[in-house]
Amino acid sequence: MRIPAIVMALALGLTACGGGGDGLEIGMSVSTLNNPYFVQLRDGAQAQADKLGATLTVTDAQNDASQQVNQVQNFTSQNMKAIILNPVDSDAAAPAVTAAERVDVPVIAVDRGVNGVEVAQTVASDNVAGGKLAAQELARQMGEQGQAVVLQGTPGTSASRDRGRGFEEGIKAFPNIQVVARQPADFDRAKGLDVMTNLLQSHPDVTGVFAENDEMALGAIRALGSRAGKEVKVVGFDGTPHGLTAVKDGTLAATIAQQPKLLGQRAVEAAVKVARGETVEKSVAVPVKVATQQNVAEFETS
Amino acid sequence: MILRAEGLTKSFPGVRALDGVDLSLRPGEVHVLLGENGAGKSTLIKILSGAYRPDDGRVLMDGRPVEIRDAGDARRLGISTIYQEFNLVPELSVAENLSLGRPPRRFGLIDSAAMMRRGGELLDRVGVRVDPRTPVRRLGIARMQMVEIAKALALDARVLIMDEPTAVLTTGEVGKLFEIVRRLRDDGVAIVFITHHLEEIAEIGDRVTVLRDGRSVAEVPAGTSQDELVRLMVGRPIDQQFPRRPAELGEPLLSVRGLTRTGAFDDISFEVRAGEVVGLAGLVGAGRTEVARAVFGADRYDAGEVFVRGRRLPPADVHAAMEAGLGLVPEDRKGQGLVLGADIGENLGLVTLRDATRAGFVDLKGQRAAAARVAGQLGIRMTGLDQEVRTLSGGNQQKVVIGKWLVAEAGVLILDEPTRGVDVAAKVEIYQLVNALTDSGHAVLMISSDLPEVLGMSDRILVMARGRLVGELPAAEATQDGVMALAVTDVAGSRAE
Amino acid sequence: MPSKRSAAWLAENGAVAALVVLVVALSLLSSDFLSLTNLLNVGVQAAVTAILAFGSTFVIVTGGIDLSVGSVAALSAITLAWTATEGGLPWPAAVVLSLATGVACGLVNAALIAYGKLPPFIATLAMLGIARGLALVISQGSPIAMPEAVSHLGDTVGRFLPIPVLVMLVMGVVAAVILNRTYPGRAMYAIGGNEEAARLSGIKVSRIKLVTYALSGAFAAVAGVVLASRLASAQPQAAAGYELDAIAAVVIGGASLSGGKGRALGTLVGALILAVLRNGLNLLSVSAFWQQVVIGVVIALAVLVDTLRRRGTN
Repeated sequence: MRIPAIVMALALGLTACGGGGDGLEIGMSVSTLNNPYFVQLRDGAQAQADKLGATLTVTDAQNDASQQVNQVQNFTSQNMKAIILNPVDSDAAAPAVTAAERVDVPVIAVDRGVNGVEVAQTVASDNVAGGKLAAQELARQMGEQGQAVVLQGTPGTSASRDRGRGFEEGIKAFPNIQVVARQPADFDRAKGLDVMTNLLQSHPDVTGVFAENDEMALGAIRALGSRAGKEVKVVGFDGTPHGLTAVKDGTLAATIAQQPKLLGQRAVEAAVKVARGETVEKSVAVPVKVATQQNVAEFETS
Repeated sequence: MILRAEGLTKSFPGVRALDGVDLSLRPGEVHVLLGENGAGKSTLIKILSGAYRPDDGRVLMDGRPVEIRDAGDARRLGISTIYQEFNLVPELSVAENLSLGRPPRRFGLIDSAAMMRRGGELLDRVGVRVDPRTPVRRLGIARMQMVEIAKALALDARVLIMDEPTAVLTTGEVGKLFEIVRRLRDDGVAIVFITHHLEEIAEIGDRVTVLRDGRSVAEVPAGTSQDELVRLMVGRPIDQQFPRRPAELGEPLLSVRGLTRTGAFDDISFEVRAGEVVGLAGLVGAGRTEVARAVFGADRYDAGEVFVRGRRLPPADVHAAMEAGLGLVPEDRKGQGLVLGADIGENLGLVTLRDATRAGFVDLKGQRAAAARVAGQLGIRMTGLDQEVRTLSGGNQQKVVIGKWLVAEAGVLILDEPTRGVDVAAKVEIYQLVNALTDSGHAVLMISSDLPEVLGMSDRILVMARGRLVGELPAAEATQDGVMALAVTDVAGSRAE
Repeated sequence: MPSKRSAAWLAENGAVAALVVLVVALSLLSSDFLSLTNLLNVGVQAAVTAILAFGSTFVIVTGGIDLSVGSVAALSAITLAWTATEGGLPWPAAVVLSLATGVACGLVNAALIAYGKLPPFIATLAMLGIARGLALVISQGSPIAMPEAVSHLGDTVGRFLPIPVLVMLVMGVVAAVILNRTYPGRAMYAIGGNEEAARLSGIKVSRIKLVTYALSGAFAAVAGVVLASRLASAQPQAAAGYELDAIAAVVIGGASLSGGKGRALGTLVGALILAVLRNGLNLLSVSAFWQQVVIGVVIALAVLVDTLRRRGTN
């Protein structure tokens, strides 16, 4: 008796959700929910959808570009009024966008752009600019001299490419800082720990670390132990809750805070607008900010 | 002389398998290779077919030395080998098997019409009537063998090596095989023929090369007497082929009542008493193996009961059967009896593994000691208990399978074709073992397609035909003809179907 | 006696030889490689893979495969962290629950394989998804801090000896004892060698498979807890893809994917080869793209050396 009752309640709840608000249906395909950053992006989008009275259906592409194409196609057949796409891969997302636009469903790209085709709007933070900011902040905290290493993200991903490029451009301005090693740790905390441990063997005098995301930065901090934040400055990227906590504790020197919730929020705003036939700007840059111990409080609330 | 092997020598770790073996083949002869298991026959034919390379010695074809580095070389030289384990792909059709590796092609695609046509021609040459489109898995063993021969013909074999081709055939099938062999011989093919059935030698052979302990000890005409052949093979005469020594009968140890599985066997009832050997005769496919497996709990049954020492066994429970003291030596030694990659000690201890566990740990020392004792008792020829079972000869492998039940002290043994592929001397050793078992009050149920063996070694003979027990004879009164007459009984009419 | 001993030793020696060659080469190429600290680092970095691989050794010896170990490791660690923090359980209870989670996943695998007659590849592929999904569901996709007491597993005893290395050695000994000395262990070899012969010798094949996959799950849970302790944080995406490293380690260590062969010591050597390689590539600053090429080549070479040596002795 109890189980059917629960099922009924759930079913009612679900239909209630579906019928609520003005019922504007929006589909959102997230590259992966296997990463707190994208979970926050989804949370921001969900909150904004609730506020505007739209119905948001979120799918997880599990970092598989072909799966993402299928998901977008499914959205079009479910008669979604707009689609928010967080591409797994900027190049591979083009067919999905083409498929949606063929049936006049507008697409908003979020966090990463789509190469080769036009979308209604791209909401993204600028990874290249972020990489540059990271270089400047790391250099400042290192006293503009010494040896630094870079922990790279998964080889071949656009985030790794752009952040790395921005960092290299930025660090050129500081001739007394030498980048002595660049090694991949695949955006993974455990690998960040192992790779940093190994790099410390060959480069014991390192005083600066740039990790292309916070997860690897947290792994590196684990490898550095008590030296993190004192002799060795670590700069991360993303501004995840754990990253911000580490900044507050002083172990992470800084993180380039993207604002995933804000990205999600802006994407939904744009999606609702285009679904109603309003025109929107081609691109919206959500600012990245350097979060340090001094200003970390303002990020945690967002 | 089409092929001559001179001074072939081959060693494996701990064993000298061949020690200067000579062999000469004339075109158009059937040359019998005779020897006990382990005498070196397998090694010799593996060298000729390119599976092994000799350490020393050479092979000449048409008087020129040749190197046979792999199966491809052998094929190019016109040497084909038919092993006991067939090299056929069960899921493919007969025609596809016949042109495996070099199918006829047209425009880069397989020309299946040509393939069927060629398959049909080859099958005609070996005199088998079968649709070339039939998947091989649907053929019986005899017809699979014919397909193997046809495959050799497809390769234009000048030398055809046949490893115990008659071991798995019934009498009628053997006759057919011999016809084909004779036809090939008359076409000028040199045939190397391995068999353990001495009576076949005079019937099919022209000359005989006898191997013993890795040496070629004699080359004699096929008309040589069986006693003389045995003497050459074993190095001493064997007095008795079937040394059955009846023992005193005791309580019934195994009782089977009304055992039935639809489609396999029907209403089977019999008893085996302590000290008794009951032979189960019949044609291949009569349901004997199915009954044995069901009694042992390896397969399920629909109705009936099995009792060991008066206690009823739960159906389809090998473990319970084993606990009750039942042991099965299965028909397919390599597929079901042995862990080929494991050593002798490990295999002998398989059944007792559970019981030898104390406080979670296996008593490896005790297991080892028991294995050593049984290996000694059975006279297993080995370099040590840690020799891989894969490297043993057939007879010694069979002793290991029987041995694991001796280690377990099973009171009732079911032996399914216990001497198939086993040489004369090892056969006699297995018979002696059966005698020793019954002397000490064990019961033995023996399935065998070898009629002289059933007659010679049983105290009582049960005959099965088409899934039913059709007769029971005391061994003393049984004749081959009598058993055969029962085995071919057509019981279809009496079945309520 | 000597033939099997030496054959087995040689079989292992194939992997040992590969490891020695690798260590010598790296010592020559990088002056930083051959220091006690670095070697202990390698040990720590091998630990998680090695523990997973010990569990996989049981499965591979029976002729099966377990693709779910990485996901099960993550799920077990998440279970521990979640029950200890959100659930408010005392940490020892959370540890037990975490091991139970691993065992449960293994039992489900085994039930699908032994009773459902699913091929191990498919059954454990399903579990790979299920366990990873459950880890994400429980954690809501975010890392959970590990309880302080358990996090000490990632520290060192005294100044030098890292606890993950100790755990790895203990699990290795446990695996070796189970494989060599216990009934289920010996039965695993028999099943992998010839399942039908094992069944007809009275070995309860289904029951042994339950034990086998449960052990694999339990070892995966231990690996997950060690990994999370090193990071002081249980992550739902942890150990993704590690199942392939584990399988590679077992095969490099001389096991056969067709079953019946494999030893705990060989597996340890296999895991060390992978860890030494990754460590060395970092020390030598090999570029990100080439690293994957080199790792692939070394795995193939290590197994090739082993098979060639064994063919030579036959």
